[in-house]
Amino acid sequence: MIRRLVPVVAAAALLAGCSDEADPARPVGDPEPGVLRVLAGSELADLQPVLDEAAKATGVSVKLSFTGTVEGAEKVASGAAEQGFDAVWFSSNRYLELVPEAQKRLGTPAKVMSSPVVLGLPDAKVRELGWAGRRVGWAEIAEAAGARKFTYGMTDPSASNSGFSALVGVAAALSGSGSALDAARVNAVAPQLEQFFSAQTLSAGSSGWLSEAYARRAGGTDPGAGVDGLINYESVLLSLNATLPAPLTLIYPSDGVVTADYPLTLLTSAGEEAREAHRKLSDHLRNADVQRKIMDTTHRRPALPQVQPDAKFTVRDLVELPFPGSQSAVDGLITTYFDRLRRPSRTLYVLDTSGSMQGDRIEGLRQALVGLTGADESLAGKFSRFHGREQVTLLPFSSSARPALKYEVPQDDPRPVLDRIRTTATSLDAAGGTAIYSSLRGGYDVLREQINADPDRFTSIVLMTDGENTGSEGFADFQRFHTTLPQDLKGIPIFPVLFGESATTEMDQVAKMSGGKVFDARSRSLSAAFKEIRGYQ
Amino acid sequence: MKRTLGIGLAAVLLVGVVTAVVLGQDEDEPARLRTVRGVTGSEKLAFFADQRVKDVFAKHGLEVRVDPAGSRQIATATDLGPYDFAFPSSAPAAEKIQRDRKAARTYAPFSSPMVVATFDPIVDLLTKAGVVKPGPGYPTFDVRAYLDLAAKGTRWDQLPGNTSYPARKNLLVTTTDPRDSNSAAMYLAITSFVANGGVVSSPDGEAKVLPAVSKLFLDQGYTQSSTEGPFEDYLSAGMGKTPLVLAYEAQFADRVVRGDSTIRPDMKLLYPAPTVLSKHTLVPLREAGDEVGRLLSGDAELGRLAATFGFRTADPRHFADVVEEKNLTVPQTVVDVVEPPAHETLERMLEAIAKQY
Repeated sequence: MIRRLVPVVAAAALLAGCSDEADPARPVGDPEPGVLRVLAGSELADLQPVLDEAAKATGVSVKLSFTGTVEGAEKVASGAAEQGFDAVWFSSNRYLELVPEAQKRLGTPAKVMSSPVVLGLPDAKVRELGWAGRRVGWAEIAEAAGARKFTYGMTDPSASNSGFSALVGVAAALSGSGSALDAARVNAVAPQLEQFFSAQTLSAGSSGWLSEAYARRAGGTDPGAGVDGLINYESVLLSLNATLPAPLTLIYPSDGVVTADYPLTLLTSAGEEAREAHRKLSDHLRNADVQRKIMDTTHRRPALPQVQPDAKFTVRDLVELPFPGSQSAVDGLITTYFDRLRRPSRTLYVLDTSGSMQGDRIEGLRQALVGLTGADESLAGKFSRFHGREQVTLLPFSSSARPALKYEVPQDDPRPVLDRIRTTATSLDAAGGTAIYSSLRGGYDVLREQINADPDRFTSIVLMTDGENTGSEGFADFQRFHTTLPQDLKGIPIFPVLFGESATTEMDQVAKMSGGKVFDARSRSLSAAFKEIRGYQ
Repeated sequence: MKRTLGIGLAAVLLVGVVTAVVLGQDEDEPARLRTVRGVTGSEKLAFFADQRVKDVFAKHGLEVRVDPAGSRQIATATDLGPYDFAFPSSAPAAEKIQRDRKAARTYAPFSSPMVVATFDPIVDLLTKAGVVKPGPGYPTFDVRAYLDLAAKGTRWDQLPGNTSYPARKNLLVTTTDPRDSNSAAMYLAITSFVANGGVVSSPDGEAKVLPAVSKLFLDQGYTQSSTEGPFEDYLSAGMGKTPLVLAYEAQFADRVVRGDSTIRPDMKLLYPAPTVLSKHTLVPLREAGDEVGRLLSGDAELGRLAATFGFRTADPRHFADVVEEKNLTVPQTVVDVVEPPAHETLERMLEAIAKQY
């Protein structure tokens, strides 16, 4: 039996493209005594010092592996999470519990702390809006947003819980019925929601990157246009305030919020030792002293009623808005957000189709693009497809840039256009040299024209290349070119994808100069990287 | 009957002693205990986690480990394979497990009436609205008056003269998920009784009450699957999140007995009129589980301890002693208690509600 397993394992390792890397299904290793392997939301990274102390106190060390809201739910539902983890720890179990296949795999939860999702605005802006010293409701906030009296950043609701909570919160509050949302109620308030989201000028796949990008833009180290405020966890905003020259004022909408409650949840599949580890760890984290420490260091509210929340939480008693009761209601809300409510995106893909891409690589690229046309039927895949109203431009290049292929996905019947993108993607072929920078420069001509015709969009560039530049224009030329760009073009974030033999240092600099972010596809599929980038577009 | 139990108990004690002797433990070393695993409604977790309870079980050679799950979840979704016993919080859920697993018998060692936990400002508001009324020595929550408000989709901010809690959300008791949890099923037992004017016992009756009672759940949107969840929210997040929460009386009483300052002076208990009793019922799945059931039912020390966790015990003296000693503001006897519908009726109604999500 064991002998028969060996070739399978070896084949799996080969498929993963690396023989000595960790098993992708078990990124934090095999079960072992005294270790709790946890699939977690990325915002829990700030809890590391508390977990280090917990390891000393209890002998249980926690190994965290991070994933997004919807993707995490999917891993639990499919049973993939059980293969490599003992527990899950997201900001909330609400979405998970709405997916029947996921819900039945959830065991003991221990709520560790809480943090509401609120709006942070600079003090001057709060006074200008006339909101100083009084509570405002979501309707008033949406109206001011619709009039563009302020702008804000928020995470992608399908990738990150803070954006998800904000979307649910504002939709629930504006629907005004007071009870939980369904499709009819969402449709009834869609115009108000559109107003609210028209002021969202920054998106991100994670709460952490969102606040970093906000701080960089506020400090002028990022060429992107400044953003007035942020929608994020109270805890993230309070932490961010410690680093900002002018701290943000937290607006707690009077009609309610959606609050994360961080349940550390055992999977029903966990073994006896993991159960014991979970029990010990939960008891430790819910100890009064540890609760105070969590409150002091992470600015989250204590879960233990015996521990008094301290004065930094200026609004104590928060009305909690009702959350939808079915997965279809939530999925419908997210889909509506993408296809109808949010500012539409304009995305340019600059794609390496040089000779070195031949074989598996070009096939991987084709698959990655096809996945975004709706072929990926996973939960996360469904939400990451090209959205209604989105402008998508593919700019393949080799020794020089090929003609730009432009598409605009209609709001109501996206299928025919998505099919055309799919046909184009599957016919991409690899041959020739790698003229990265002249092609990238050419991309700006396309964008300039599109922006002039329609300026109010989220615009971004994905740059995918598998090797060194062989064109006559080099990185230094591009750098010079970039500094000469007008503000609206200079602020367009570039998301380079590391693949094959990418020039890592140059790609880092390209991301940095444009306020973008590098995505690594060297140890995972291009599809996975392209999907992750969707959160930032 | 009692005598048989006494003998059984002695036999168990004897087995414990013999085991200790055979294993050759000396005084310093803890005896090696037999691990018994159970799955239980979350409201009994604290009881099983208590050292005094563990000590009593240890005296009998047992170490009882429990995982919490919603009672209907235990009855329908949970894989019971790893467990020696299931301990849902109601007779109907236990009935189903007993049938499915062909268990020879069940034990019903504790019970607790369903209550609504709330806060002073809400009591005032609802007194004015005619929902809270003085009862026979304790305040009652008039289910009929509540159903009338809920039927109209009343929001808190629509109550006349409401300045203390003008929340823009529906006036609803927070419950657990009717698809998973026993307390939600008990709530359905109460509300369907009132909507029907008596215990629902026919398909006509079901059809008649479903629109009104479904709304009480669906309008809440997402609900948690285990009763400890909303009650913890009541304690820690307070009135903003959970102005009214359906709970077991035991959950509230337990906190008062613990004196851990989680029950603040403005927190109040209301008894629905009518209410139902939740009968915590243990279904043994293996021999070791049966032993736990026998001990819980027959051991006086466990009975006394259960009462300190707020449970009303088979022998009412245990609970009465705790009420007196801890000065609990709970009635000795709750009047206006009705029976839940038959298991099949309750299940059909729950399924009909589940379909509407």
